[in-house]
Amino acid sequence: MIQSDAPSIRTIQIQQSWQLQPGEIIGGRKIVAGLGEISIHLNGGAVYAPFDGEIQLTDANCVLFSSTNVPAYLFRLCGLNRPIIGEITAGSPIGSGEYLHFAALRRQPDGTWTIVEPAKNILERMLP
Amino acid sequence: MSMSSSLPPSTKRRTRHKSAKRSNTNPILRLLPIAGLAAVAVVLMIDVGRMSLAGDQHRDEVCIGEVDDGVIISREQLATFLTIPERDRKARVQEVLQAPYCHLSNLEIRAGVPAERVVYPLAFDPNTWLVVLYEEEEYAGYQFRFAH
Repeated sequence: MIQSDAPSIRTIQIQQSWQLQPGEIIGGRKIVAGLGEISIHLNGGAVYAPFDGEIQLTDANCVLFSSTNVPAYLFRLCGLNRPIIGEITAGSPIGSGEYLHFAALRRQPDGTWTIVEPAKNILERMLP
Repeated sequence: MSMSSSLPPSTKRRTRHKSAKRSNTNPILRLLPIAGLAAVAVVLMIDVGRMSLAGDQHRDEVCIGEVDDGVIISREQLATFLTIPERDRKARVQEVLQAPYCHLSNLEIRAGVPAERVVYPLAFDPNTWLVVLYEEEEYAGYQFRFAH
């Protein structure tokens, strides 16, 4: 089996088709968070995996967290510096940064993902 | 510590001899190795504490409440289940899968919506769990969890 050193990028389709998306450039500046995301001032602090799961790279300096313990949901985390990629256990640090831009995504029957409001306890697991 | 143990025996002997000689000449220097050992012990205690805390957090989620050891789902049940779309009724899924093997702890993932998670081992691979998530009376989705 041929393996590449560079981790693959997972792309997902968001159901809401907003014009301004994270990663786009406006006036020479990058959009770092979009509609529906929650921005948290980490002040250099870390974010931790809420469950055993997997971290995958996605576009625009973001990662996707998925877990077999949380079917139907994905968490998108943007703004972390050099986040961990791959398998991760609950309570392990995913990465740190100045600001975390967080989105909870729920799977739709057509295979797309929709941004929903996350419950506080999920964020509390990630920011203990 | 690792540096000291990697030194050849002759070097270790020399080091010990030199420090013993120094300790005879200066009482303050004599206390240095003890202070160093105490510092190492404190650091080790902190590290062990952190590891045991991490160990507690690193266990994957397990069944809560009653476990029904007799529950496994057949290929036919699984095939029928996989045809059920997300957002269908919880009752529709339960008709196919019947009572679960066990529950995982209740959660709230989406604000204001309690989530329930149930587990079914597969008959043809009992180490693989089908985890099903309901939100109130709605079927939200599933994942397969493989034994590590």
